[in-house]
Amino acid sequence: MQQRSSGAIAVAIGFVIVGLVVAYETSQIALTPLYAKVGPKVFPSLVAGGLILLGLALLWDAWSGRWKAEDADESAPIDWPALGWLGFGLLFNVVLIGVVGFILASTVLFAAVARAFGSVKPARDLAIGFVFAAVAYIGFAKLLGINMGTGLVERFL
Amino acid sequence: MLTRRDMMLATLAGSTALAAGWSSARAQAIDTLQIFVPAAPGGGWDQTGRTIEAVLKANKQINTAQVTNVPGAGGAVGLPQFVNQWKGRQNSLMVAGMVMVGALIANKSPVNLSQVTPIARLTGEFEVIVVPGTSPHKDMKSLVEQLKKDPGSVSWAGGSAGGTDHILVGMIAQSQGVDPKKVAYVAFAGGGPAQAALLGNQVTCGVSGWGEFSEQVKAGKLKALAISADKRVAGVDVPTLKEQGIDVELFNWRGVFAPPGIADTDRAKLTKLIEDMAASKAWQDELAKRDWMGILQTGKAYEDYIKSENIRIEAILKGLGLA
Amino acid sequence: MDTLSQLANGFAVALTPMNLAFSFLGVLLGTAIGVLPGLGPALTIALLLPITFKVDATGAFILFAGIYYGAMYGGSTTSILLNTPGESATIVTALEGNKMARRGRGGAALATAAIGSFVAGTIGTLGLTFVAPIVVDFALRFGPAEYFSLMILAFVTVSAVLGNSAIRGLAALFFGIWLGLIGVDLQTGQARFTFGILELLDGINVIVVAVGLFAVGETLYLAARHRYGKDEILPVKDSLWMTREDWGRSWKAWLRGSAMGFPIGALPAGGAEVPTFLSYYLEKKLSKKPEEFGHGAIEGVAGPEAANNASAAGVLVPMLTLGLPTSATAAIMLSAFQSYGINPGPQLLMTQSNLVWGLIASLYIGNVMLLVLNLPLVGLWVRILAIPAPLLYGGILVFATIGTYGISQSPIDLILLYILGGIGFLMRKYDFPTAPVIIGMILGPLAEQEFRRAMTISQGDVTVLVTRPLSLTLLVLAAIALVGPYLYRRLNARR
Repeated sequence: MQQRSSGAIAVAIGFVIVGLVVAYETSQIALTPLYAKVGPKVFPSLVAGGLILLGLALLWDAWSGRWKAEDADESAPIDWPALGWLGFGLLFNVVLIGVVGFILASTVLFAAVARAFGSVKPARDLAIGFVFAAVAYIGFAKLLGINMGTGLVERFL
Repeated sequence: MLTRRDMMLATLAGSTALAAGWSSARAQAIDTLQIFVPAAPGGGWDQTGRTIEAVLKANKQINTAQVTNVPGAGGAVGLPQFVNQWKGRQNSLMVAGMVMVGALIANKSPVNLSQVTPIARLTGEFEVIVVPGTSPHKDMKSLVEQLKKDPGSVSWAGGSAGGTDHILVGMIAQSQGVDPKKVAYVAFAGGGPAQAALLGNQVTCGVSGWGEFSEQVKAGKLKALAISADKRVAGVDVPTLKEQGIDVELFNWRGVFAPPGIADTDRAKLTKLIEDMAASKAWQDELAKRDWMGILQTGKAYEDYIKSENIRIEAILKGLGLA
Repeated sequence: MDTLSQLANGFAVALTPMNLAFSFLGVLLGTAIGVLPGLGPALTIALLLPITFKVDATGAFILFAGIYYGAMYGGSTTSILLNTPGESATIVTALEGNKMARRGRGGAALATAAIGSFVAGTIGTLGLTFVAPIVVDFALRFGPAEYFSLMILAFVTVSAVLGNSAIRGLAALFFGIWLGLIGVDLQTGQARFTFGILELLDGINVIVVAVGLFAVGETLYLAARHRYGKDEILPVKDSLWMTREDWGRSWKAWLRGSAMGFPIGALPAGGAEVPTFLSYYLEKKLSKKPEEFGHGAIEGVAGPEAANNASAAGVLVPMLTLGLPTSATAAIMLSAFQSYGINPGPQLLMTQSNLVWGLIASLYIGNVMLLVLNLPLVGLWVRILAIPAPLLYGGILVFATIGTYGISQSPIDLILLYILGGIGFLMRKYDFPTAPVIIGMILGPLAEQEFRRAMTISQGDVTVLVTRPLSLTLLVLAAIALVGPYLYRRLNARR
């Protein structure tokens, strides 16, 4: 039997909250007077109920310390700097892909992920990422004709 | 299975690796035409857009065209993008139609078709009401009788709720004094599953564009009870609703629009482009192949038409409880 | 007319050098786009529609059919190697396939997928050739009630992927069902759970969810632990090829997968995903080594891969016999028929017999080509796994981005992808299984829509589910699948 885990409790509470949000949103679905023996709210209500009940069951499991995680053992430390680099890469990608274009955004993402996995050669990573993204862009935008948007580098290709 | 999830947001360029080599290098009025299709590849608008592309190219009216698909919610996802991001762009056309008018109203969209520049109405397609080949119903009269007696016992297969098919069903019910809200309408995603339900005798009747059902009717697998035209259509041996005492007519029109804020000269240029295209033999051939009806309308008349459609469709959707 | 002589005629059409070239180009292109998550055969064929003005009908359809079959092959490759499914029908393949690859058995996984796809594609095409009219009659007997019961049967399969805790497994399932319900309700036109975001009106793409949970989630998880030296990918060990045991465990799974994929694919609303779930479940139940499932069981790759390829052939049954488009790809192929002035309908086989039989013959040829193309590539593909982790995972994330952002250019999908990646990370950390999310997301909305259709047609009479023989049969099967193993164990214990 394991120790009570605060992380598991937080996840269970989060799950109950999702269930409550679903329940609230279900109540907000407009009920049309349209002929329908089973309306648009029936299944969502069942799902909301299921989510809340399962969330409470999860909470009980977590509270009683029965949350037996085989694959993920709670005590394993989390490498926060690595996650930070990854998070930075993803955020940069989402925010700037429309501004600087697919190739540059992907290059940065690539290098950030590589950094997260312990690479210490940022220049090499940036170069490889750039080539990879550029080849992908040319392959899909030029050869297949898929519109991948434009950007700082794309303009010259 | 054709679900909305299968259709991903997609942006495609018309000029492919294969096509690129074929485009002519002759100097023309318009080099690259941008075609904006607010629907997934394969649907009616997409086919319209790609047919326009093909015909304009074949006529050498343009050099090349690029088709951009932004599908979603009957065009309600694409239109805001066309209004905001395509504003003022030259040589750009959006394909849209009656379905979008309905979708914008039903989804309470903040943008509407009065914000874009109408260029031309191009095609229309009549709707037909069909029953399975073995159905006891031989005409609209017996179908309507049953509908009046017990609305719930007549199940209608068609496209998504609030679309053209649903609107026609609502109009028929209304005209017969049946509350449209009581009609048992069964929405299917795409024509395939709806036709399968009819062929397998799972529903009482079905509603869709004539082109969708024509082959099944010719093969005798489905019986066409009525067509939503104002008078008999040449080559289509189906009585109109009006002939059968149901005063309803409807056609699903499709047309093209330019972005907001373009110069009058650009607008005139695009109008001329489409008018010339519509008059060409290549376009007429396509219409015949695809069972589309050419109903060209441009300029002020088209602008007024859009306004009147807005009012008419809103009223029907209100009757259905969707607006 | 005699089917065989027509087929021979079809081969005569398909075996011309020009058409062979089209078939080769098609399978090559199909494999390439199948690899990319989000980019599917439907989009690619739409993109190539302009060629209908330059190429004769037979050539064009042979090209399209090659793309269609090729995409299924390509989708499984990335599922196995990168845990990044390229097509929704290859999501299940990732479950065991990627585990195999991580254990150094990537070569065998790719081989069983390729050979299984070939076997199933050929069986499916044989079915299309000889029993299409019978299958289509059967398929049309499926109404909403039957589909609902089929979905109930398919839901049973979730028990095969519940993981260590039924509660967490079911929680994942319900979360998936909720994700599936997001968007405009088809039956009433009401927006549900869209939080005012227009892009959500059409729902969330299941590929975005699968790639987010599997690939992005996994990358985050591994990054968080990488420094502590866990979860290393093992190098390819022993032979690259399938062992005698692999063959013994695979061939029955191929046949069973084909037997499930073809008829369900032929159902107008059957789809390619449902048979992969059913096949996975069946293989786990029938396997002599069920404990290997979840850690890289080869049957779990062989069966679902066969099922999705056989279903691809099944989809062509209603299209070629009745002119019914039952998938996005079929709808676009039908629109291409119209470009040639051919109106696809019940008479297509009669009026365009050369074209249809040439197309069917090209499917046999395309299948052989895919096998020849893919088997030698296995050795090349598995080398991807030897790339150092920093570059491999960087590549996977860029790759996932191309698929989601590249074709929509909307950051919304990208944000969704990354949020789901975060959820996938948490799920992995707290030992939730991710597969039930996908099952719930695909089956939940289907079950809902079919149930409501059935109720509208029957005027609210729930008994249609048991008074219609076919529907009842499916429900009984579901009940057997659910309690059968339990009863069996009880009986054995008593003896």
